[in-house]
This record gives sequence, structure tokens and C-alpha cells, in this order.
Amino acid sequence: MDFETLTPPTLVGQSRGDTGSNALIIETEGLTKRYGERVIAVEDLDLRVRRGEVYGFLGANGAGKTTTLRMLLGLIRPTSGSVRVLGEPPGSPEGLAHIGALVETPAFYPYLSGWDNLRVLALHAGTQQNRIPIVLEQVDLADRAGDAFKTYSLGMKQRLGVAAALLKDPELLILDEPTNGLDPAGMSEMRDLIKNFGRDNRTVLLSSHLMAEVEQICDRVGVIHSGKLIAEGTVDDLRGQGGLRVRAHPLDEARRIASQLDGVGEVQVLDDDTLRIAIDPADASWLNRQLIGAGIEVSEIYREKASLEAVFLGLTKNGGDNDVE
Amino acid sequence: MLNSISAELLLLRKRPSTWVLLGLWTLLAANFGYIFSYVAYLNGSGDSVRPLADMLPSRLVATLLEGYPFFGGVIVLILGVLTFGGEYGWGTLKTVYTQGPKRSQVLAAKIIALGIVLTSFVIVPFLVGALLSYGIALREDEAIDWPSVSVIARGLAAGWFLMVVWAAFGAVLAVLSRGTALAIGLGILYGLVIEGLLSAFVNDISVLRPVTEAFLRSNGYSLVEPLGLATEQVRGNGPGAFRGPYVSGLQAFSVLAAYFGAFVVLTGFVLRKQEVA
Repeated sequence: MDFETLTPPTLVGQSRGDTGSNALIIETEGLTKRYGERVIAVEDLDLRVRRGEVYGFLGANGAGKTTTLRMLLGLIRPTSGSVRVLGEPPGSPEGLAHIGALVETPAFYPYLSGWDNLRVLALHAGTQQNRIPIVLEQVDLADRAGDAFKTYSLGMKQRLGVAAALLKDPELLILDEPTNGLDPAGMSEMRDLIKNFGRDNRTVLLSSHLMAEVEQICDRVGVIHSGKLIAEGTVDDLRGQGGLRVRAHPLDEARRIASQLDGVGEVQVLDDDTLRIAIDPADASWLNRQLIGAGIEVSEIYREKASLEAVFLGLTKNGGDNDVE
Repeated sequence: MLNSISAELLLLRKRPSTWVLLGLWTLLAANFGYIFSYVAYLNGSGDSVRPLADMLPSRLVATLLEGYPFFGGVIVLILGVLTFGGEYGWGTLKTVYTQGPKRSQVLAAKIIALGIVLTSFVIVPFLVGALLSYGIALREDEAIDWPSVSVIARGLAAGWFLMVVWAAFGAVLAVLSRGTALAIGLGILYGLVIEGLLSAFVNDISVLRPVTEAFLRSNGYSLVEPLGLATEQVRGNGPGAFRGPYVSGLQAFSVLAAYFGAFVVLTGFVLRKQEVA
């Protein structure tokens, strides 16, 4: 197979001309990448990223995130499956003209300044040179643009990588761990930049293993584990409905009554005076009435939601048994 | 395409090693063609001393071209390796490819930019050689007769062509080895050991003759031989020594052109097929 004529066996997804809000910007079907007989980096991945959303691609190190991104960009060939990005085969100049990407560590010519590095890339991309000061300003690197890349700190290199991704003013931004090496202020600025980019009907695919980052930025999240997409949905979907914590007395009686109520799932005793009750949090007042009506003293009821981190750990520990979609 | 060529020219122009290699090659050409030779001529006697006539302006093209088939070639092989192999070490291929140019466009831009930069690897040593030969002629009170414009043009073209072939050899080694160190090592090893040793034995082992006739060294010296190459001098040219066999100029040009084409096609093939990690 040839990188310049890489055409998937089946055409899926919609063309770049489709501007509907649900238009699929990235669509993969059965995407698989094997290295030899034993190593399966990505397996049977069906990924759908819609126009205008910030999609979080969540996975532990080595889960297959970067391999997937490389396949989306045409840097490596899938072993099997199909890919369309912006309605084009991966790696096609027509598609890449509208994609900005930062994959893994930012890679630049060490002897060139940040400005000259972007100049080289702008020339290859056929982009106007007047985009260079704009993107340098966006990533707050204008002051050091004249310095050689080899003198940059890790955070500055990361900023230049994002600047390069923004150079074409792309429709789709693919970022692989963009906050690596940034200090807390830089991380916050980067998140704002990504969130702002995600407005205006543009799309971001953000690969990360940082739960808080994904939770703050992303509209939808896909969780990849051992090369497989094991869950996909909004952050709220993934965290689930959650439940209620109830401080009640006497606890055993409260537990017995709650367990008999319709619409109540598992009831767990957490400590001497608290129950965890699996129930739609919207039914909190109804539950309160039922317990008080049964003579139980209820001193506190509050909503409990699993953290994305807890959900992620649960998902990856179970290998995807908790699929939410 | 023009934009990509500009990008590659910018990379080569701002890369310190380009200037280091140009300086090194110019220094070598000046020293071995003129400075060392003239000092030896002034101080010494014996077989190894180059005749004064070789250092005069009339022999400018022939004297300078002695170094191109091997010494100059090996130096620009390094430039070819660095131009392609550096991309692997820095991981910049993925950065360039994700900007959207076709891989064949990147290859063509790199080769064309190398070709443009290599003109300086011919012009600068020729200018320095001209100055030195002029100075020697003045000092020795010899006639200052320059070669004809046609001979100079053919000499420049032949030198440039040899450089381009060696640089393309470096390019293919770099993409095959995905880096610089091994490619430079293999290139120098091939030039010195394989071509050098086999060429040294060719007069004693006749079966080697057809093999050596296909060598870069053999065809390179054969290409410049019609321009007045001092073949006796080349016999004692150290690691670049060549005792023959010489082939016709046309054959040499055809073989070198075929090498260039093969190197470029193979480089392009590998670049297109290669996965970028």
C-alpha cells in the first residue's frame, strides 16, 4: 500500500462539504494495527468524531492513542479497517490541508528559530506567512520566536508544537497530550485555547491521559484500553447517574426500608450512619419522604457522582465490561 | 512545489553543517590542488612532487576536478545523508508530512534544493583554485593562460554532476538506515574500502575489471579524464587513488546518470512506503 494513494476499502462518513452539526469529521470502522503476529496496538476501533465537538481520547500510556492518531494522519498504515478524516483518506493532501496536528513530542529543526521552523512548515503547507505571528501570539511564544528551538524549555517546545498545528487555521485539530511539560498557568491557557477553538463549528480530537483535562474541556470522550475502544459518551454518560448518600438513624432499619422501595438499586452501608443508595438523584426528595414516613431520622442527603478517574480505572480494570453506550 | 523547495533551501542554508562541509571541501581542494603541492614543489624533489604546470591557471579545471570523483564526493555524501537522515533523528518527518505536502513533493524539493546548494560546492573551490593558481603564476613569473570558457563550463558541470550523484547516494543510505550515523559510516566504508581496495587490485585480478568499471570512482574519473585529468597524479592520490580502468566519457556519464536515477527512485520508493513513527 502506498501512502500517497492510501484508499480505504470502503468509503464511510461524509464529505467535507457536509456542514451539518452531526457530520462525522472522523470515522473509523474496524481500524486495526498489528505489529507482527503478537502485538496488536489498535484493534477493531470504531471511532466517530462529530463536527464542532471537542472529543477526548482517553487512555493509559500504551493504550493505542498515538498509534490511532498516526493512522488518522496517514503516518502509518492500518493493518485493516477503514478511515475517513474530513471525508478524505488519511494522509491525503486534500484532507491534511484542513487538519492541524501535534502528535506525541513536538519535533522541530533544533538549529532553526521557532519563527523559521514555522516558516518551513508554512512553506510546505502552502500557508500564508502572515499566520506565523498570529499563532505565535496565540500560544504566547512571540517573545522567544527568534531563539533557536534547541534553547527552548519543554513547555516552549510544546507551545511551538501547538502553534504549528494552528498554522493552517484548521477545521480539525488533533492534539496528543498538548499540556505535557506546561506549568499550571500554561496548562490553563492551553485548555482555554482548545475550548475556544472548539467553538465556531471546529473540531478537536484531544488525546490525553489526564482525567481533569478531559473532564474540563471535552464534550464527548472515548476510552481506549489495550487498543480497543471500551467506552464512549459524554463525561456525564461515563460518570453515570451516580446515586445518593444518606445519613440516617437507625441505619439498619433505613437500609431495610430503602432496599424495598421501587426504583432503588443497591444499598450499601458506608459507615456507622451513612448509606450509599443507587437511585436517580432526581428522586432524592421522594426517598426522603419515604424514609421519614417510615419513622427514620434523616439528617443529610446528598448527590454522589463517580469521578471520571474512578470510572476510567473501573473501565480499564474490567477491560470494558462497563460499556456505557 | 516551489514553496517546498524554498523550505528545503532555508533548511540547508541555515544548517551549520552545510557551511562546515563547504569550508572543509574548499580547504581540501585548495590544499591538495595548490597549497600543499606548491609547498612540496618549493621544498622537495622526487616522484610525488606535482609539476608546477599543474598549479598554473591553464590547468585549473583538470587539477581541481581530480578531487571531485572521490574526496568531494564523500563530503557531499555526508551532506546528502544529513539532509535526509537528520529528519529521522529529529522526528521532523511527521511534522512536515502532517502539513500536507505529498511525500514525493518533499523528496523532489530536497533533491532540487541539494542540487542548488551543490553549485556552491563547485563554484567556491573553483574561485579559490583560480585565485591560488593566479597567485602561483604571478610568483613564478609564468604565463597566465586561463582554460577556455567551454572547458571551464564543462568542468563546473562535471564537478556538479559528480557531487549530485554522491549526494543522492547519501540520501538513499539515509532513508534506508533511517538516520545519519550508520549511513555516513556505510558510505565512507563503501567509498574507501570496497571501491578503493577493489580498484587497487584491478590490474592484478582481471575478473574485477567489469565490477570496477561500474564503480562511482571509475566512472567519476572517466567523466573528468577528457578535461585533462592528470591520470599519473591520480594514481598516487592516497585514499582517492585510481589506476583505472577508464571508460569512455559517454559511458561514464550514462552510468552515473543511471546511478543518480536509481538512487532517487529508491529513495522515493522507501519514503513513500515507510511508516513514520
